[in-house]
Amino acid sequence: MAFLNMFGKEKERPTAATADNRLSLVLSYQRSDIDERKLKQFQVRLIDLCDDFGYDVVGQVEIRPQSRQQDNTTVLNASIPVRLRGNSEDEESAGV
Amino acid sequence: MEQKSVAITVTSGKGGVGKSTTVASVGLALAQLGRQVCVMDTDIGLRKLDLMLGLENRIVYDLIDVIEGTSKLRQSLVRHKEYPHLALLPAAQTRYKEEVTPAQIKQLVDELRNEFEFILIDSPAGIEGGFRNAIAPADRAILVVNPEIPSVRDSDRVIGLLESADLDQIDLVVNRVQPGMIKDGDMLSVERVQNHLAINLLGVVPEDRRIIRSSNTGEPVVLDDKSLAGRAFNHIGRRIHGEEVPFLEMEETSLINRIKRIFHIA
Repeated sequence: MAFLNMFGKEKERPTAATADNRLSLVLSYQRSDIDERKLKQFQVRLIDLCDDFGYDVVGQVEIRPQSRQQDNTTVLNASIPVRLRGNSEDEESAGV
Repeated sequence: MEQKSVAITVTSGKGGVGKSTTVASVGLALAQLGRQVCVMDTDIGLRKLDLMLGLENRIVYDLIDVIEGTSKLRQSLVRHKEYPHLALLPAAQTRYKEEVTPAQIKQLVDELRNEFEFILIDSPAGIEGGFRNAIAPADRAILVVNPEIPSVRDSDRVIGLLESADLDQIDLVVNRVQPGMIKDGDMLSVERVQNHLAINLLGVVPEDRRIIRSSNTGEPVVLDDKSLAGRAFNHIGRRIHGEEVPFLEMEETSLINRIKRIFHIA
């Protein structure tokens, strides 16, 4: 039976690419001495900065460190959905 | 003044990746090339190099005895009988790493430089005091890494520490590589490991059952003609010696292995 199972055995999904992605992420965190607390503080400051420039943050702010291998540096990718405050105020005053 | 002697610290961060195997094998390979080589075990309390070289029954004095003045350096060195160009400076087995300082190890290595062309320093695992002792006298470092996430992450941390200690020449040895697993996409390739760590690749050593045999017998795998890992370590020694040696072809070509791969049982 074991012999027959051997023929029918399905190949499992390769895992090296997963390891590679996980490694990129942990190395980015490690090299930049980044932790979740620091990212959270950074997020708060970015929201304040948007406010200073007249933007309202209208969704989830995401900051994702990525490893750039050619020079061993970390790139912080920030995704900040915003809307120009003036527009929304116009909309509010217009009763939209 | 031209420096005649080179001190190379072999380190990793993570334990069990093959540091001592590398030191014993590369040390012997260099000795076979006619160089005067001292392999120094700095893993105080957990020594291994004596076992790797089959010299465990010949130790009288150790590294701490020299530092404390209980013995002279010459008395603590254990010469290999078959390869007299190779000597071992063993670590103490019943003492603690904290009992020596980086300055003392540096002074000891400076004394060894008078007699040896290559001093290979076997670093303990970790990044604490023992690691700092091991890197203090180094002119260059060899980082031994296995192609798996914990080992690569620790190595990356170690590279940062070596660079902050002004060690600029850091070479990479990727050990325990399984070409079949890489081909199946289940092991990080040597190229990916090197890309992540971004340091010079000195050698690639395949996983090899014969390494267990070599540690059983105390004969470094570099002496084993049948061992592919032995050949890889020999090539690393020759590269350190300054020769240009191509990297080994490691692809599994035996019929049995090919059949196993067809049925996904390799």
